[in-house]
Amino acid sequence: MTGIGRRRRFWRWLLLGAALLGIAAVAVMWRPALAPATVMPRFEPGLVERGARVAALGSCAACHTVDPARPFAGGFPIETPFGTVYSTNITPDARTGIGGWSEEAFTRAMRNGVSRDGHLLYPAFPYNHYARLGQDDVRALYAYFMSRPPLAAAARANDMTFPFGFRPLVGFWNLLYLDGAPFRPDPKQSAQWNRGAYVADALAHCSACHTPRTALGGPDDKRFFDGGEAEDWYVPALNAKSPSPLPWTREHLAAYLRTGIAPGHAAAGGPMQGVAENLRLADPADVEALATYIHSYLVQAPARATPATRPGSLPAPKADDPDLDRMRLGHQVYANACARCHDAGRAESSGTALPLQQAVALYDPDPRSLLHLVREGIAPPDGEPARWMPGFGAILTDEQTVALAAYLRRYGAAQADWPDLADRVRKGKQ
Amino acid sequence: MSFELQVNGKRHTVDTDPDTPLLYVLRNELALNGAKFGCGLGQCGACTVMLDGAPVMSCIVPVSVVGARPVRTVEGLGTAAQPGVLQQAFIDEQAAQCGYCIAGMIMRAQALLDQHPAPTDEQIRRHMMPNLCRCGTHMRILRAVRRAAGRLGKGQAKGPA
Amino acid sequence: MSALLPNPGRRGLLRAGGALTLAFAMHPAWPQGDGKGKDGGLPGSLAKEPYLDAWIRIDADNAVTVFTGKAELGQGIKTALLQVAAEELQVHPGRIRLVTADTARTPNEGYTAGSHSMQDSGTALRHAAAQVRFILAGMAAERFAVAEQDLALRDGVFDAPGGRRASYGELLAGRRLHLRADGKAPLRPRAAHTVSGKALRRVDIPAKISGGSAYVQDLRLPGMVHARVVRPPSQAAQLLSADTAGVARLPGVLKVVRDGRYLAVIADGEYRAVKAATALARAARWNLPASLPGTRDVPAEVRARPAQAMPILERGANQPGGRTVSATYTRPWQLHASIGPSCALAQLVDGQYTVWTHSQGVYPLREALAELLGVDKKTIRCIHVEGSGCYGHNAADDVAADAALLARSYPGRPVRVQWMREEEHAWEPIGPAMLVEAHATLGADGRIASWDYAVTSPSHNNRPGKAGNLLAATHLARAFTPPPGKPIPQPEGGGDRNAIPYYALPNARVIHRFQQDAPLRTSALRSLGAYCNVFAIESFMDELAQAAHADPVAFRLRHLDDPRAIDVVELAAAKFGWNSYKAAARRGRGFAFARYKNLAAYCAIALEVEVARETGFVRILRAVAAVDCGEIVNPDGVRNQIEGGIIQSASWTLLEQVRFDERRVQTVDWAGYPILRFNQVPRQLEVHLIDRPGAPYLGTGEASQGPAAAALANAVAQAAGVRVRDLPLDRARMRAAK
Repeated sequence: MTGIGRRRRFWRWLLLGAALLGIAAVAVMWRPALAPATVMPRFEPGLVERGARVAALGSCAACHTVDPARPFAGGFPIETPFGTVYSTNITPDARTGIGGWSEEAFTRAMRNGVSRDGHLLYPAFPYNHYARLGQDDVRALYAYFMSRPPLAAAARANDMTFPFGFRPLVGFWNLLYLDGAPFRPDPKQSAQWNRGAYVADALAHCSACHTPRTALGGPDDKRFFDGGEAEDWYVPALNAKSPSPLPWTREHLAAYLRTGIAPGHAAAGGPMQGVAENLRLADPADVEALATYIHSYLVQAPARATPATRPGSLPAPKADDPDLDRMRLGHQVYANACARCHDAGRAESSGTALPLQQAVALYDPDPRSLLHLVREGIAPPDGEPARWMPGFGAILTDEQTVALAAYLRRYGAAQADWPDLADRVRKGKQ
Repeated sequence: MSFELQVNGKRHTVDTDPDTPLLYVLRNELALNGAKFGCGLGQCGACTVMLDGAPVMSCIVPVSVVGARPVRTVEGLGTAAQPGVLQQAFIDEQAAQCGYCIAGMIMRAQALLDQHPAPTDEQIRRHMMPNLCRCGTHMRILRAVRRAAGRLGKGQAKGPA
Repeated sequence: MSALLPNPGRRGLLRAGGALTLAFAMHPAWPQGDGKGKDGGLPGSLAKEPYLDAWIRIDADNAVTVFTGKAELGQGIKTALLQVAAEELQVHPGRIRLVTADTARTPNEGYTAGSHSMQDSGTALRHAAAQVRFILAGMAAERFAVAEQDLALRDGVFDAPGGRRASYGELLAGRRLHLRADGKAPLRPRAAHTVSGKALRRVDIPAKISGGSAYVQDLRLPGMVHARVVRPPSQAAQLLSADTAGVARLPGVLKVVRDGRYLAVIADGEYRAVKAATALARAARWNLPASLPGTRDVPAEVRARPAQAMPILERGANQPGGRTVSATYTRPWQLHASIGPSCALAQLVDGQYTVWTHSQGVYPLREALAELLGVDKKTIRCIHVEGSGCYGHNAADDVAADAALLARSYPGRPVRVQWMREEEHAWEPIGPAMLVEAHATLGADGRIASWDYAVTSPSHNNRPGKAGNLLAATHLARAFTPPPGKPIPQPEGGGDRNAIPYYALPNARVIHRFQQDAPLRTSALRSLGAYCNVFAIESFMDELAQAAHADPVAFRLRHLDDPRAIDVVELAAAKFGWNSYKAAARRGRGFAFARYKNLAAYCAIALEVEVARETGFVRILRAVAAVDCGEIVNPDGVRNQIEGGIIQSASWTLLEQVRFDERRVQTVDWAGYPILRFNQVPRQLEVHLIDRPGAPYLGTGEASQGPAAAALANAVAQAAGVRVRDLPLDRARMRAAK
């Protein structure tokens, strides 16, 4: 064979390879649009009501409702390492929402993360979990959402770092992380546990926050329930690595999921607040099942001695503390700003709060959740009675915040220092 | 214990316990009436003052964390004889019924206008949310803030969202 | 006019502030007669205090002081009364000093409550001032030997022809007008008014926006000490032990007081008192029995409590046949929840008590304190100093009792007692839970053929009066028992206030089922029973209108006779655009009308809401009110009160309920008892006033509470597609409503 012939063959193979790759890429990154539905079916009230409860379990409102006057109109910013994604309007508005979506289109979005017009959705929307929903749950959700009053709310433009603004790239993420296999109950476990497993994985998507993510933003399944992060909060592990200073009972966990509060444990703050607000609207039996399932992991955490068993006023720093100046400052801040409520022990009113030896945020491997709590407090939802911690963001300087956090870590939780505390304090201020 | 404070541009030395909330120091040691006791829990805003330019609930600010950061109260915005722009707006709109929440409202609003001289109606509403008014003077308070914004900002304060 | 010559033999020599009292005897300017006004009684509070110098004093230097037995509660009454006096006296309001409720200085006008201030005090001042002007005009005419019509009067100075002038002060030369009013002096015609009827700026606002001393909380008296009280965890709790020794040793503590179940600390600094009280609370052990019924099902609990049936209306006969409509409406326990918890100061010096208080009734309070302390009431002086808005009987009297008791424990120095937030929420006398059952039949003509209405409620009035009405008194070792709750008779009414509909109903029966007992102490909360009754009646009118296939406004007009009522209804509807309104999805409009107590101000409200069923969130988009309060003294003051009443009522209606379990109250702060915030107040709120010059003043402070609640409920019913009859229409209830 001549050299020219060899070159031509090389180029032909290369072109063929490129063409095949191109087809594969398109297959990965492109989806067709589905025709809009022209006729909306009538939904039986029972199905709509079931959909409401399923939506509560899925905490859809936690991301899709920003203004309680405009439910499901979207607009919530979800910060990811790839940029900020804004939740969309999932009311059946024809122009700006999911009006005109067929059940097929809705199902495809839920299971495959594909919008009706074919564009790929970012996995900030946890469709890799919803992929395991039973079709009757999808149908119920469809009935529920399509019967909400339509609200006009155009989607906010996302703010993605280059090149993640190019949506088709999500196709590759799907290749790696989208597992279409249906939920499989574990025959060794009880019916309630299995129900909880289904709720946790396919609906409440607990592991979306409570399992760490890989560098590509997918779930790191080898470290299931090892903890993670969400909206700049540290999300605690739910398994043997649970940082909780006191063990959870199943009953307390169920109460916490329903109300955001459990005896001996911190009140739900940050993203977990939204979860509790939604779960209280779900079928209580499902929340019990969820608690049973999660508790089966939490119970693996070994018992450890922590100051949480001796709650009360926190002590002054020891005279031989190597970091005495900072600890003294932290103690002073604690004694003068926090102790008034946190020494009292939690009672009915908000002037009484959890003794800090029992606050899980002090036992987290990183201080982000504590810093959020100190700066923003815990506010009740609009016009509803709830617990309330005021925020100290504008009251404490950075130096005071660092000292307080360091002091609480050492003298409240008796844990090793957070290495990056000062950095986190500085970065956390917006 | 002795603490040095900067309040409304003047230096004061006060002798009090370190955990005394700034609210009590302002009212008792410094005889300033503006900031009021409403709940002591940081829930109502009647005690609102500015700390280093940010609105804070002085009932949960221990005097010992204030340090050198400047404190501003309603007395620092103007007097009855010579009211500041925002205070005058409150008088013009007759934005008070019992008036107990008003000094806190003014400080909260002032903090907004210091950062955003021409806020929208929606921004004003959201910004003022931490402050409670039991008499129902909200409409007038909003009008007073808008009026002051109109006087302060170069342009018009934007109309209702 | 005959000469006015003081008769030395009958001149009274009562010195007060250097002024002499002059008793006009021989030739008064007009016949003293029996001092009766047109209706056989002196107008307003003159009936209780007929002497002119009790109301008005003019010093030799022409300084004018006006006295009222009413108190400034933030409703602008000081300004309005100043306007009334200034108008009739023809003195610039800036030159008049107004002294409010003080048992040592002002007339006794009972309570500042019930929207009576303008009717009682305003009317009295108006007539007294007119009479004073009349007398002085006569004196000036006599002095200058001219006819009265040749005199010009400006700002308290008479000008006579020839450049002669004399001020009020010069004419009186230090003498006091110790004369009985007769209510007959001519009033200035409305057309000539320069002060009354104008939107005069509130005299108290400048201090309030600049940190001036404006409230009882701002009082700083020399030698003042600070006190805090430690309450039992519930009214039924018993004190088992209290280790007071440790508390007494805390820094700054001057005294720890223990008297039965009553525990308090007095300290030299305010926050030290707070900390000592916290320590004392921790050092006390209580027995906390299960003594309360809980609030899981308030309507059932209301039903279960015994009641005494008192018919208040029996008109016509029951009409059989026709379309029947029945409904039950309920109201939960609700709080005044004053933004500034109650505060008082008291000092005991040489056997004399002085109490600085924001009580609505300094004279009745004095009676109660006298009984509590076991002293003659002449040894007690109660001075009203403004507090934060009270909206009725809140803890103002209770804290005054605390201050007086602690002043007795620590005589000599002024003792300042400031209630904490949790105390105010847990212990104030609360607005009672009520239940209404309504039945009506519609005739073939689309009108209401018969009406049956029963309202169940405990007492709305446990004001002192008696020591037993003071909280501290019930905790002492020698405890006072609260007197049994009593109903307030019609036409004012308590739980039955506004229970009689203002509509022309030929066949109607209304029963007030009065309950003597209640699980918690109840008392007057702004508009008393009118809030619930108007909510119920006006919701029911909408339900009847719907059954009659009639427009809600037209249906009401069908049943109204009073032209003033018709005017406000039509005005509110017109300004709202009622007839051209088209409800968009999730939105609805509602209407309501009432005449407060069926004899005070008229108020009609139309409003539009938007309801999100999924979250239960209700947003008020637009509210339009029309008000007729007789002759208007300060239009802006009226607007302020109506706006405020609408927003406060919206807060009660959408958010508020007291919660308690079997042992104690659970709603002890704003987290547990949320009230309306800026994000939920209406986008637009308009108040339109109908002025009726010459008509009697009608109180407006409470006129909008009831109509706002009903208009809201009616609007929500349309927007949500489901009617909720149990207050509050909170988010949980709206989510669950079917």
